[in-house]
Amino acid sequence: MGAPLLILTALAACSNEAREVGPSLPQTPPVGNMDPRIAAYRANLYQVSQGGRYFTWYGCSSCHGDGAPGAANLADGRWQHGGGFADVYRAIAAHRPEPSYAGTIPVEQLWQVTAYVRDLPTHYPEKRRRVSLDQKGEPQGSRWSGPQ
Amino acid sequence: MRRCLASLPVVLLGGCAGNQSPLAPASDQAFALHSLFVLMMVVCGGVYLLVIAGVVWSLLSARSRRGTNTVPASERGLGRGLYVAAAAIVIGLTVLIVGSFLADRALVAARSEAAMIVRVTGHQWWWRIEYRDPASGRWIETANELHLPVGRTARVELASADVIHSFWVPNVSGKIDMIPGRRNIVDLTPRRLGWFRGQCAEFCGTQHAHMAFDIKVDSQADFDAWLARQNAVVEAAVSNTSSRGAAVFQRVCGSCHSVRGTPAAGRAGPDLTHFADRRSIAAGTLPMSRGAIQGWLAQPQALKPGTSMPAVPLLPADADAVASYLETMR
Repeated sequence: MGAPLLILTALAACSNEAREVGPSLPQTPPVGNMDPRIAAYRANLYQVSQGGRYFTWYGCSSCHGDGAPGAANLADGRWQHGGGFADVYRAIAAHRPEPSYAGTIPVEQLWQVTAYVRDLPTHYPEKRRRVSLDQKGEPQGSRWSGPQ
Repeated sequence: MRRCLASLPVVLLGGCAGNQSPLAPASDQAFALHSLFVLMMVVCGGVYLLVIAGVVWSLLSARSRRGTNTVPASERGLGRGLYVAAAAIVIGLTVLIVGSFLADRALVAARSEAAMIVRVTGHQWWWRIEYRDPASGRWIETANELHLPVGRTARVELASADVIHSFWVPNVSGKIDMIPGRRNIVDLTPRRLGWFRGQCAEFCGTQHAHMAFDIKVDSQADFDAWLARQNAVVEAAVSNTSSRGAAVFQRVCGSCHSVRGTPAAGRAGPDLTHFADRRSIAAGTLPMSRGAIQGWLAQPQALKPGTSMPAVPLLPADADAVASYLETMR
């Protein structure tokens, strides 16, 4: 009795990662915090973790890593430019101290990075450690020279 | 119909030949593995034939006794047969153990020689390949194409950036896992010139099947020339279109891809210096051609769903310019 129930429960959890692969991906920025496409990114575990990989790849963690001071801390839940999906997206795309990311990072990846950044305040320390362990070998920024 | 069925094994055996087969060995290590395979075939095939012969013999002798209802006076023959079978098993297993031990020794034998070092890193779903420049000691990076000089041992250091992959070039090497956080080593001494095909042999995600690479065994002189060419920076764009392409590439593609000698210095994706020299694109997914490059730029998610290469929204003229820039990168 217990085992089939357990399997069903486990299968139900898979919907958190459901995603479509293929050419139908967002090619334009969100039009507002109510954009219907946001639902597929906001709480989707795959999109959030993929955003985390791009966050590492593009070297964001060199300034916005764990325990970054003041405004660079993205995990404290305080948003200078608004905490809605489109607000965070816009803030990343028009990131000021760097050349604008809108021109250098493709739209779909910006959607994923936005989903990840908005998810950061909910990461408890164990999850953060787990994520950084998972991504230990991934390319980091432009000076990366190999996984070890 | 019967003739068709009879020719089926021949057709199936035909699949064993070619540039992705352990039955056509092209390196010392692959020869060692191949001879072990032949030895196992012979020993196990011999045992199989003996077992079948024993079964046939007992069936025939039972049939000849049918109806007589007599029990053989002595089982001495049977007892002797069992002794012979036990001896055959011991001898067969001993031969296999010795053969396996010798093959294993042959695989590690190359390690004491001075070897050329190549680093291969598995990514979802492509291969980062780095050579140490003999003059400066710097690493020369390329992707999805491994060149090796014939007759010289190359020590391939295998690592992974994300999940477990497995390095497998059936003609040249056995399978070696690429495990995150570890550096595995395999030595290869190619003995035959030519192109071979490598493939990831550990399921690593949706595009595991599209994680292949080409391997080229060159003469030492050809290999040196190739390595020197890889080490050189790409020549400046020659036409207006390709110089426009270079500008777009550096702005849009440069955050993930690098081209040595230009501002494009991204580390996340494959190094594209001398991209047009390669045989295929996207880790063996498409052959190298202008159409394939343009298709890959326009909609990579349709060609290799799930790849980290995103669909980059470019104006058609810009996409054309980038493709023509990539095509000239030799």
